[in-house]
Amino acid sequence: MKISGSYTMSAPRQVVWDRLIDPQAIAGCLPGVEKLNQVGQDEYEMSMTVGIGPVRGTYDGKVRLINMRPPEEYQMQVEGSGRPGFVRGTGTIRLAEGPDSTTQITYEGDVEVGGPVAGVAQRMLGGVAKRMVEQFFSCIEKQIAGG
Amino acid sequence: MAVTKLFGASVKRREDPRLITGRGNFTDHIKLPGTLFMALKRSPHAHARIVRIDTSKARAMPGVVAVYTGQDLVDKLAPVPCAWLVPDSDLKVPTYRALAVDKVRYVGDAVAAVVAENRYIAEDAAEAIEVEYEVLPAVVDQEKATQEGAPQLYDDVPNNIAFHWKLHAGDFDSAWNQAEVKLTRRFINHRLIPSAMEPRGALAYFNPGTGDLTIWCTSQNPHVHRLLLSAVTGIPETRIRVIATDVGGGFGSKIPMYAGEMLASAISRDLGRPIKWFESRRENYVATIHGRDHIQYVDVAATRDGKITGIRVKSYANLGAYLSTASPGVPTWLFGLMLCGAYTIPVVHVDVYGVVTNTTPTDAYRGAGRPEATYLLERVMDLLARELRMDPAEIRRKNFIPKEQFPYTTATGLQYDSGDYEATLDRALELVNYQQLRREQEELRAQGRYLGIGFSTYVEVCGLAPSAAAGAMGFQGGLWESATVRVHPSGKVSVFTGSNPHGQGEETTFAQLVADELGVPIDDVEIVHGDTEMIPFGMGTYGSRSLAVGGTAVIMATRKIKDKATKIAAHLLEVAPEDVAFENGRFFVKGAPDRAKTFQEVAGAAYLAWSMPEGVTPGLEETHFHDPINNTFPFGCHICVVEVDPDTGRVSFRKYVAVDDVGNVVNPMIVDGQVHGGIAQGLAQAVYEFAAYDESGQLLTATMMDYAIPKATMLPRFDVDRTVTPTPVNPMGAKGAGETGTIASTPAVANAIIDALSPLGIDHIDIPLTPERIWRAVQERRG
Repeated sequence: MKISGSYTMSAPRQVVWDRLIDPQAIAGCLPGVEKLNQVGQDEYEMSMTVGIGPVRGTYDGKVRLINMRPPEEYQMQVEGSGRPGFVRGTGTIRLAEGPDSTTQITYEGDVEVGGPVAGVAQRMLGGVAKRMVEQFFSCIEKQIAGG
Repeated sequence: MAVTKLFGASVKRREDPRLITGRGNFTDHIKLPGTLFMALKRSPHAHARIVRIDTSKARAMPGVVAVYTGQDLVDKLAPVPCAWLVPDSDLKVPTYRALAVDKVRYVGDAVAAVVAENRYIAEDAAEAIEVEYEVLPAVVDQEKATQEGAPQLYDDVPNNIAFHWKLHAGDFDSAWNQAEVKLTRRFINHRLIPSAMEPRGALAYFNPGTGDLTIWCTSQNPHVHRLLLSAVTGIPETRIRVIATDVGGGFGSKIPMYAGEMLASAISRDLGRPIKWFESRRENYVATIHGRDHIQYVDVAATRDGKITGIRVKSYANLGAYLSTASPGVPTWLFGLMLCGAYTIPVVHVDVYGVVTNTTPTDAYRGAGRPEATYLLERVMDLLARELRMDPAEIRRKNFIPKEQFPYTTATGLQYDSGDYEATLDRALELVNYQQLRREQEELRAQGRYLGIGFSTYVEVCGLAPSAAAGAMGFQGGLWESATVRVHPSGKVSVFTGSNPHGQGEETTFAQLVADELGVPIDDVEIVHGDTEMIPFGMGTYGSRSLAVGGTAVIMATRKIKDKATKIAAHLLEVAPEDVAFENGRFFVKGAPDRAKTFQEVAGAAYLAWSMPEGVTPGLEETHFHDPINNTFPFGCHICVVEVDPDTGRVSFRKYVAVDDVGNVVNPMIVDGQVHGGIAQGLAQAVYEFAAYDESGQLLTATMMDYAIPKATMLPRFDVDRTVTPTPVNPMGAKGAGETGTIASTPAVANAIIDALSPLGIDHIDIPLTPERIWRAVQERRG
């Protein structure tokens, strides 16, 4: 399933970039993250609890940041599995300078889900994913504003 | 003259009080001390190589007794059998393991089994099993699966084609070349999920002391399951008892042999303890068979005055990942033979490709093959009528097999037993007030409203079947039925039938037959079913065969009882047997009706045996094995009237008229119920139900939230009527009514919706005709 969207952040591009690839910021802002451990260069192990429609569960998996072109673009590979099934996906995040020291973030990705969660909640997945991304960016924005 | 008292009466179902007050005897109600519970670890991937299975965490959990992987059972359990080996089709039956070894091939394929002290622990432990998969590309669409470069499910099934079956009757090329009118179409008859109210399950107990396996399970055919369980476990049939007393619906989905029942049996033998396993609803949706799923290409040759001169069909049938028990027979024989329908179509060419894909296996689902043939034909009739600007009722009439021509042999070789197709059409036209409706349609169109009238003039084959025909088709079994009638010393009667009901009401209808034959109160007759230890043998309930085949066996056994009882009565009355008459439960001397013995007195005498006629043995019990001489062919006309809102795609049902001819009817209320339920299921295929997969093979409709089984409010009122054309095939003249509604209704509804949309230039939309599909088609036409 394809997801895409954009978000405008009131902060300069380099500041946004630094936060977006900072594991502490990610762990603090991605909804439901219970642990995030660095296991290699730009590679993390993560445990995350997510509810999609009626299916709520914890997924254990890996996150890798690849093809990093600071401060313009990077890709994120996610792969996790848990009781409700599995999730795999790749996304591209682009940062463009906007007017008045803002940053225009655009993202697009392809997510595959399987197991019980696919049969129960797939049609809600798009909405949930979009909401999580919005929450993530808005949290990052608040962190930046709060210093 | 025998007085018929109950044949034809709407006797209330005797099984209902226990079923609706929660006192049924379903498999999950059975409890044995020391039972362990089994849960299955299922694949979340549609196609993947199993790299590694780590069961250590599961094994370490308190309460877990054992964990099995496919490898552990290779020597203990033979593969899941396929029992319909369609001949002359280059059939390949790939190995189907109860627990996958090496590879998984659909989402839901079982890879490990856990047994534990209770179900909670078993389910948790199944989740704790870690399986490492190497995910492979999957293929879901059966047509794409046959194309170059498609993912291959098996090394020994090239292009995923498990068989290519053909039936070429007559010279289609010449019919095509001479045709004044030609029609070419592609139809999709999409996949459905049977969704029986009770999911599948089993309680298996292998007693290590006696070596006996007793299994309670959700079965439409306990003896067939006993035979197959014997074959896969190696336990002799004499040591296996299959019990399926109350079964909560099946629609065909409880015919096959499945992994779950096999595993429960094999693991019980391994551990010497009872094993219970029951599907969750989600497991039911992914791991119990699905139905339909054909892609059909059809060419029709016709004359300008509307006579079909030939039909050619190429069908791709989606078999799913493995060949289920009867799956090769459904899209071939049960489909191809019925492609003449109610019509005098002289030439039929059909080619069916059975294709394996990364989806749940398919098999017989209510109607099984006939709905796919009927939908195709009835859509063709409407398309042709439109092409020729003929009335859809009249083009059907023009092609009907005339009633004088019965018994009628079709181009495909079936002999239709009896029929009067125009009678059902005329009655339905009258009930729906057809001329008035067409005028109303014109008026509404002028106001920008879209009313549609849809027909389905179907014929179906049921009462399956003469065993010799089954054999010729490659079905690995006979299709006769058995019955034992045991009259007790008090004159009360136990009837043991091999037709195992799972909602059909045979405890009532069979008792009606016996009460009539023997002149005893219906309350004195009990019907026993669903236990291989009590019943001689049985082929089971499916294919609308219980009454036509099983009911005939009951009647024949009862008549043997009457013959013997007459001899005993004659002896007691001191006259010759030919001087004795039997009426209303009394044996009396012809011409001297006061000299009589009741049936109960004769039964008592048969057991006392103080004074028996020469050569007559004590007791009063008879068994009959009945093999029918032919199938039966119910028929009818369904008319659906809808209004469609082109702005929203919403369909409102205005009227639904069903005029069926199922021959003589034993219990009209039960037949009405069958017809109502059948229409609900078939109508749902037309507008609601759809088993959807995404491209990677995930079932998207794996709950009742997403798979649209209709509620009562989503259905119209059904106006049900019947004509009666008895069959000569059995003594009751009864044909069978279990599937007519499902077969007839899908095309009637689809035709009505397309008829409504015809002013917009729409002549076909593939089912299910959801508001979205209708809206999209309308938008496309409107630009």
